[in-house]
Amino acid sequence: MSKDQPAPLPGQSDKIVQVENLSKKYGDNIAVNGISFTLNKGEVFAFLGPNGAGKTTTVEILECLRNPTGGQAKVLGYDVSKRSDQAEIRKRIGVLPQDFNAIDRLTVRENINYFGAMFKHQLDADKLIELVDLKDKRDEQFKKLSGGLKQRVGLAVSLVNDPDVVFLDEPTTGLDPRARRDVWGVVERLRSQGKTVFLTTHYMDEAEYLADIVSIIDHGQIIASGTPDQLIDTHGGKKTLIIRDAGQEGLKQLPQGLPKAELRNAGDIAISLNNGELTSILMSLGQTPLHDKEIEVRRPTLDDVFLNLTGRRVSEEGN
Amino acid sequence: MRSRIYTIISGHFKSWYRSKSNIFWTIAFPLLLIVLFGAIFGNGSTKFDLYLQNQDLTGNVPTPLSQGYVNVLNQTGAFNLHIVAAEQPDPLTYVKKDAQDHNQGQRLLVIPLGFNATIMSGKNATVQLYMDQSDQASASLAGIVHSVTVSYAAAIANVPDHLVVQQVGIVTRNIRYIDFFIPGVIGMTLLTTGVFGAVNTNGRYRELKIIKKLATTPLSKMEWILGMVGYQMILATISLIVILFFGYAIFGVTATIDIYTVGLVVAAALLFPGIGMVLANFVKEAESADAAANAITFPMMFLAGTFWPRDTLPYIMKTIANFMPLTYINDGLRDALIYAEPAQALTNTLIALGLAAFFIVLGSILMNWKEE
Ligand SMILES: Nc1ncnc2c1ncn2[C@@H]1O[C@H](COP(=O)(O)OP(=O)(O)OP(=O)(O)O)[C@@H](O)[C@H]1O
Ligand SMILES: [Mg+2]
Repeated sequence: MSKDQPAPLPGQSDKIVQVENLSKKYGDNIAVNGISFTLNKGEVFAFLGPNGAGKTTTVEILECLRNPTGGQAKVLGYDVSKRSDQAEIRKRIGVLPQDFNAIDRLTVRENINYFGAMFKHQLDADKLIELVDLKDKRDEQFKKLSGGLKQRVGLAVSLVNDPDVVFLDEPTTGLDPRARRDVWGVVERLRSQGKTVFLTTHYMDEAEYLADIVSIIDHGQIIASGTPDQLIDTHGGKKTLIIRDAGQEGLKQLPQGLPKAELRNAGDIAISLNNGELTSILMSLGQTPLHDKEIEVRRPTLDDVFLNLTGRRVSEEGN
Repeated sequence: MRSRIYTIISGHFKSWYRSKSNIFWTIAFPLLLIVLFGAIFGNGSTKFDLYLQNQDLTGNVPTPLSQGYVNVLNQTGAFNLHIVAAEQPDPLTYVKKDAQDHNQGQRLLVIPLGFNATIMSGKNATVQLYMDQSDQASASLAGIVHSVTVSYAAAIANVPDHLVVQQVGIVTRNIRYIDFFIPGVIGMTLLTTGVFGAVNTNGRYRELKIIKKLATTPLSKMEWILGMVGYQMILATISLIVILFFGYAIFGVTATIDIYTVGLVVAAALLFPGIGMVLANFVKEAESADAAANAITFPMMFLAGTFWPRDTLPYIMKTIANFMPLTYINDGLRDALIYAEPAQALTNTLIALGLAAFFIVLGSILMNWKEE
């Protein structure tokens, strides 16, 4: 922000979330250690990190559930540390807490209206039910729903006050792949409506698929930020050329002068590519018995980004 | 704000009546207890309790006619005769106390000194029957005593009018076990629904992140607590009405609902959820909080005179009972509903309200609304 511009009034800024040098200590444990980032209007922002990285702590500071021990955070231009501002924030944000469950014995619709009644204005329950695709479960009690459907109720509940920003804390953890896709679908719909979404996840593919901007957080610090493409380009390492089912034999048939090749997963040959090498390698492969093998170029993923930055894989941390 | 509290109350209420186990514990179980205990300890037999003092003795031996009269009464099989010694100077007071201690009917028949002689001289002799006209059993009992007396008089002198039963109205607290028990069951139900309800809505709702979610909305902690207390009051009122109605329909227990009853229900609806909230804050995990709630409610139930009078407890237990909040709810409810003792009801209501204020404030202060 340039100094000579007047600061926009609270509630009118395009900077939906502004965090500067934020930290949170629990005793000696530093859960969040001086992080800074900005979330602009209409963006889907993913906070990506392993268990215990400090995702929930950060989100809950923004939701005014926890007090920061250092730094500054503004949501919609309001200061999360000021009591009077907190009231304004609460009216305008939508929240899906990690591991949230709605009320067991209320129906989907009743739950939406229950949480909706906490606000001055609420969106029509039926519209929300449509948005999360729960029309035939509308009058079903929450406890009778499967995990994926429960999570969709949570999403609907988080949108009930037509919030200016939605915080989704690990919205797909513990769901089966199909249910995850469904949740992704809802987030994509929100994006297309121009909603600002802050989501946390420890799934690389989720961040890559959904987010405009990804911040990777580890041990309470942001270790990289950017669009998924930027992160991959900067930290992902080289692309890999894969020759399927070539085996030990194939290794011997490789032309001379290629970068180092290795055998992976029962017979695939993997060759790390430097930029601009692909065409020449493909042409030289065409001269060998390997020319009829299936060939594929694999781009690094956020998994590789995390691995390169930390030396660990997120999935190894378990969940 | 009104509509938020209303939403919370109606949410709790729906969750309550949609759960079969909730209905069982708050409605069916107390009624079952009443039937069970009522059947076991209730009236005992269908006979009427009747205290009898025969003052017509010569030396230490009852006069023939008075003894004959007692025998005839006994032979009807309609009475459980409890003999009061002739030396007893104030039989009425004695009977009141003894009847209450043993949960027996307070009715006394006195055969006066000179009974035998009066009849022999051809004059009319009078016996006194002390009983409470409002007592349900009294009418039938008096009827039986009358007809026994008339036929006895006819048999000994052929003059039925020779023997007169003089009815003396007394105000009794003719407390049967079931009369004692019903307020206890109400107290017990308020205790368990209050403590477990609060543990559930503040412990389990925390685990399910419902409280966390609510804390991110404009709802305040105060409104949440008011909603819970409002719901508890509705539930307490329902319990009270259902149990009293049931007690009346099955056992003819007549209760008076007065201002103290209302005060006690309000107190209970603050006090027990308050205790539950304090618990839920010290024992974070919902399951252990449940166990802790059991550990607190069970001893309290037994010591606070729910099932039997505290007088029967050993001294130490009686002392402990004085520190149990339920004691004052139970006693107050008995004073108000059954004994018609406004002064005692007031004392107990005030103590209960004081405890209620203490626990609900403590629970509210301890409750973490935001940060875990
Ligand atoms: N209330 C608390 N008291 C003490 N320490 C806490 C508290 N909440 C979190 N922590 C600690 O702070 C660190 C960050 O926790 P946080 O819950 O923010 O991580 P997370 O990224 O959300 O992890 P997860 O993927 O498991 O949800 C962890 O070391 C955790 O143990
Ligand atoms: Mg978390």
